[in-house]
Amino acid sequence: MSRIKRFFRTYKPFTRAGMQEMIAYRANFICHLIGEIMAAFIMYFVWKAVFLSSDSETFMGFTMEDMVVYIFITFLTGYMTYSDGAFAVGEEIIDGSIAMRMIKPCSFEMCFLFQELGSRLISISMIFVPMVAGVEIYRYAVCGEVRFQIGYFLLYIVSLLLAYMISFYFNVCYGFMAFFFKNLWGTTLIKETLISFLSGAIIPLAFMPSGLAAVLNILPFASLSYTPVMIYMGMYSTSQILWSFGLQIFWVVVMYGVTKLIWRSAVRYLSVQGG
Amino acid sequence: MESMIYAENLRKEFKKIIKEPGLKGSVKSLFHPKKEIVKAVDGISFEVPKGEILGFIGPNGAGKSTVIKMLTGILMPTSGMCRINGKIPQEDRKNYVREIGVVFGQRTQLWWDLALRETYAVLKEIYQVPDDQYQKRMAFLNEVLELDSFITSPVRTLSLGQRMRADIAASLLHSPKVLFLDEPTIGLDVVVKDNIRNAIMKINKEEGTTVILTTHDLADIELLCERIVMIDKGKKVFDGGLSELKRNFGDVRTLEFELVNAPDFKLLDYHRRFHLTEDELSAERDGSLARVRFDTAEVSVEDVISYTLSTVHVKDLNIKGVEIEEIIKRLYRREVSL
Repeated sequence: MSRIKRFFRTYKPFTRAGMQEMIAYRANFICHLIGEIMAAFIMYFVWKAVFLSSDSETFMGFTMEDMVVYIFITFLTGYMTYSDGAFAVGEEIIDGSIAMRMIKPCSFEMCFLFQELGSRLISISMIFVPMVAGVEIYRYAVCGEVRFQIGYFLLYIVSLLLAYMISFYFNVCYGFMAFFFKNLWGTTLIKETLISFLSGAIIPLAFMPSGLAAVLNILPFASLSYTPVMIYMGMYSTSQILWSFGLQIFWVVVMYGVTKLIWRSAVRYLSVQGG
Repeated sequence: MESMIYAENLRKEFKKIIKEPGLKGSVKSLFHPKKEIVKAVDGISFEVPKGEILGFIGPNGAGKSTVIKMLTGILMPTSGMCRINGKIPQEDRKNYVREIGVVFGQRTQLWWDLALRETYAVLKEIYQVPDDQYQKRMAFLNEVLELDSFITSPVRTLSLGQRMRADIAASLLHSPKVLFLDEPTIGLDVVVKDNIRNAIMKINKEEGTTVILTTHDLADIELLCERIVMIDKGKKVFDGGLSELKRNFGDVRTLEFELVNAPDFKLLDYHRRFHLTEDELSAERDGSLARVRFDTAEVSVEDVISYTLSTVHVKDLNIKGVEIEEIIKRLYRREVSL
């Protein structure tokens, strides 16, 4: 018990620092947010054009209303699970200060994690509630009935948290690539594009050929975005939800393990080759 | 009693990739990297008893920082071993670092985004310092390092002097048994340097903390260190007390004569008068000043003064004390080995 207390007492200041940082760089935060929202609207207009040019009301099982919810909840999920641990790790590798972490008996990724949670808390209060409310008001206006289901919403939150953990550890692992690439700018662009395709953020996985969709569903990327969104929309049956939770937990554990492994070999590399 | 720090035949080699010049060279080194082995530390042994302050000196690139990094467990020695506080740093790093304090002057170990006060709160939890001890410790560190004025600021906004004081306080918070300081006074003004030296001295006196420090500021050495280890090109060239260094390498003095008539400097020919080489005595003109550096083992202060006074008109005379800087310069130049 006291260990858990000490754990939280140790890393709590990082959360506070994350919040302060978010407030200090608020112009940056707002510009980023506006850019993301614009991208979501572009997706909306593209899909609207697709639906207008089609003769039937539904497209591969999605109605226009479903599509709107999909686009905006995907945007929200992507925004909430975004992690820049990669940059933090990458920068420390490039300037060599990662060696400084070896003289402290504490966990390096927990510092990042708790700091990021701080900034996430701010973005939750700023965009999460208005976004969900907006989507639900739209649904009500279109369908004339309340479609919001608290059960699915709570399951979505759980899935979102797992998605964030996967994203976090994945990005920390990715950050270690700085050992080989020295600079992560170019590869980050490739990574982001690949992930937004593989996670179903651009095109829902349901629209893809069934073979490809089956493979993508198992890869960790679907767990980042597609899974929570499907749960939110109530598109998954109970057994599908259980299965995808299992899969998400599996990927969290794998990514965590890989991070530890890479950290250990990074330490060995540093201590043999120098920072 | 076993020494606090024990290093035996420490050796560290790095593989360095040599790039040939130009684009062609870059492409070539991408496919067939040419590797060269650089010996950063080449068989260094020394011991430090508990409670001693050891000064580690040497020119840039001599391997000082590499030794410190091996002692603190950041680097793995290529061969040889070191044992500090009865532990081998590389074997159980997490436990080992609990009992040491480390400051690298060129880098900070503080969290960039945290307020300084928060940083200490985090360190308190990490090192499991009890509340009452923490209060006492912070009061003490506040007193010697004057942290009060900036303790609520985030680390990224601190000046270099503030940051260094904060870093040193952070390394001392958990009452380490050994303190490693790699250039703790680099780039600081006199007041802050003084502050830091006092803190080191106090900690050493009151708690018997063993300290190793590397520096280029020889005042640090003179004020703090009982013993010096000098290394050059990865090898130990001197190990002993300050007075021993002076005895062994001569007592160098500098005399400054302000001449009434500056061109008279030509008339002074110390080398012929005392039959000395340029190494044993150097004379240079700086405006109306004639600056003479010499080894008192070769010629006495009295002789130099009386010769100068009898040859030219002198307005003022200034005798500078022993400059270990000068001894060390000569040592580096001659690459003396013991």
